Amino acid sequence: MRRPGARDDSMTLTSGSADALKTLFGKDFVDGRSADAAGYGADSNRYYKAQPGAVVFPRTVQQVQELVKLANRQNLALVPSGGRTGLSGAASATAGEVVVAFDRMTRIGEVNMTDRLVECEAGVVTQQLHEAAARAGLHYPVDFASSGSSRIGGNIATNAGGIKVTRYGLTRDWVAGLEVVTGRGDVLQLNRGLIKNATGYDLRQLFIGSEGTLGFITSALMRLTVPPKNLQVMLLAFKDIDALMAASAQFRRELPVTAFEFFCQNGLQKVLEKSAREAPFDTAYPFYGLLEFEAPYESVLEDAMDLFESLSDSGQVADAVLAQSGRQAADLWFLRESLSETLSHFMPYKNDLSVQLADVPAFMARIDACVAQHYPDFCVVWFGHIGDGNLHLNILKPADLAAAEFKARCERVNADIFACVQAFGGSISAEHGVGLQKKNFLGYSRSAEEIAMMRAVKAAFDPNGIMNPGKVLPD
Amino acid sequence: MKVLVAVKRVIDYNVKVRVKPDQSGVDLDNVKMAMNPFCEIAVEEAVRLKEKGLASEVIVVSIGTAASQEQIRTALALGADRGLLIETDEEVQPLDAAKLLKAVVEQEQPGLVILGKQSIDSDNNQTGQMLAALTGMGQATFASAVEVTDDRVQVTREVDGGLMTLSLKLPAVITTDLRLNEPRYASLPNIMKAKKKPVAVTTADELGLALSPRLKTLKVEAPEPRKAGIKVADVAALVDKLKNEAKVI
Ligand SMILES: Cc1cc2nc3c(=O)[nH]c(=O)nc-3n(C[C@H](O)[C@H](O)[C@H](O)COP(=O)(O)OP(=O)(O)OC[C@H]3O[C@@H](n4cnc5c(N)ncnc54)[C@H](O)[C@@H]3O)c2cc1C
Repeated sequence: MRRPGARDDSMTLTSGSADALKTLFGKDFVDGRSADAAGYGADSNRYYKAQPGAVVFPRTVQQVQELVKLANRQNLALVPSGGRTGLSGAASATAGEVVVAFDRMTRIGEVNMTDRLVECEAGVVTQQLHEAAARAGLHYPVDFASSGSSRIGGNIATNAGGIKVTRYGLTRDWVAGLEVVTGRGDVLQLNRGLIKNATGYDLRQLFIGSEGTLGFITSALMRLTVPPKNLQVMLLAFKDIDALMAASAQFRRELPVTAFEFFCQNGLQKVLEKSAREAPFDTAYPFYGLLEFEAPYESVLEDAMDLFESLSDSGQVADAVLAQSGRQAADLWFLRESLSETLSHFMPYKNDLSVQLADVPAFMARIDACVAQHYPDFCVVWFGHIGDGNLHLNILKPADLAAAEFKARCERVNADIFACVQAFGGSISAEHGVGLQKKNFLGYSRSAEEIAMMRAVKAAFDPNGIMNPGKVLPD
Repeated sequence: MKVLVAVKRVIDYNVKVRVKPDQSGVDLDNVKMAMNPFCEIAVEEAVRLKEKGLASEVIVVSIGTAASQEQIRTALALGADRGLLIETDEEVQPLDAAKLLKAVVEQEQPGLVILGKQSIDSDNNQTGQMLAALTGMGQATFASAVEVTDDRVQVTREVDGGLMTLSLKLPAVITTDLRLNEPRYASLPNIMKAKKKPVAVTTADELGLALSPRLKTLKVEAPEPRKAGIKVADVAALVDKLKNEAKVI
């Protein structure tokens, strides 16, 4: 028997199974080699070559169920596909798999104002949910730079986080119910929108973050909240990371913080150069924190001002500016949000890591020292959702180094960095998932016993290994 | 030389404006308000003059509801020295604003008055011009560069087809265009300091004037939503549409 999670070559599409798919999907079937399939076999990781056998576009849960039954009978590999903004290669089809894209399941229900719930089919685009919530005077708080393309099914399958986690948590915290088709072909209605439901194992939670390896999410009941009132945005400058972390802890204790992000001077410098904007401060400081908080009452703003005054008097905050308009707030956010795009021109080697908040300064110092010792010509740029202990580590390619050699050297850096993550009990993937890219490093964050349990869970939901084979679990 | 800057509280530039269902105006309930962007540029320019030692004091004046104090505080945090609010709950139209500002000019005797070229809510582009006419001062509108030397100011203006440079005798009225400068952020220490700067409150009445709005808003409508794009079969069809439908080539 094949190990659950592994892929075998017999799973490529035969002409017989292609015909069966055509019968099931009609014009919603696309041959993997046709122009219409372009773009469907790869996510935003771009490292893996797309080679889908076919792309199908289900319209109903029944069709998804039929498809899963067919795949079990004919040994077909299925790759669930949302907006393909994932960064780990989890939605990539590299070996003739059937891509199952949710572009045609985008219905969104009426907002239930009593329970503050809205039903979304898996293909609803994140931004569509934001807009539906806003129309009802409510708010869907999970947000990130790819919200215009990513889909609810993909968000749930990766348990996406983003820029408001400090206040609102991860996608997991907003999933009140799921309709799924398991790898066995069973349709399950999980939790049905209940707040309280103490009836044993919560299978819904297993599907959240499963990266398409257990079954398909076809529909979800998403919880909404009230919109934040009178958001204030500040940029703060710090002389060192300890001061930044201490201030961040204090803000979270004393203010209704909605976001706390950070970046360092070399990152800011690149953004300013690329965008031809002026520096927010007269002097450069090594670290910057972007703080957003809600000030529903005048008194909150006054308390905040007192807090900032005491922090700047004690020298803990070196300098700070407060946006005076929505435009200035957007300009300050721009400095943080355009980092990813700006750095992409330097072909960065990226990692998305997390440790406990208390360990952040020591962890960063350890990584900086490791890179400086072994790879002195590399430039390290740090930024990320530091309010959650989530650090994006970027190493920029030195201009005179060939891309291939840079990549090879970075693979070696990987082992050093992951060993360091392991020493701190951290995670080698804070929110971008495992997919293809990190599966063989999983052992740095999960024990052998844990991985064995993960395989057992996979086997229970997907005994024939048709669901997204070769992803998440190590080879 | 004193510099007087006028600032207006308007709907925040980043807010998506909604028209009231009865078409009597736009919805202001729970909407974020901020300083008019052109006024921000005016404040920045005045503060720069002061930093260069060309201005002795920057006075910021706003006409509006009590809430306009917020925008005055912002201007003080950006570096203005003191504020004046002419408080009113009524709609203020350009001619009334100009008359009220004229009264302030008579009191303060500034060497330079800087205003935004227009406010992004009513888009009138009249107040600076009317103030110049009422006071007899020279005016330089749509400024993209300002240079003060002794008793004159040289202003570069953005006009159709190029730039025009004027030299005016002080005192004078200047209205700002977008490219004059990039306003700074309000720093925390300066926001603290701004709290201690004086803001006086007065009324039209106290200035010996009564507001007399002359324009009546009949109806406010939202612009037509943009139509979705279309796909054309080939270049020939595109050229045909551009020529005969869009009439742009
Ligand atoms: C510019 C940019 C910024 C980003 N910022 C963040 C961030 O701040 N935080 C964050 O967490 N992520 C971030 N991401 C990553 C990505 O956007 C999120 O992970 C997103 O939620 C993925 O959604 P998607 O629809 O694009 O999923 P895809 O990439 O299409 O798929 C992701 C995974 O979900 C599975 N899947 C998709 N649909 C289903 C379904 N219906 N049923 C079962 N499995 C399914 C796929 O098989 C795959 O394993 C960012 C990405 C980009 C490009």
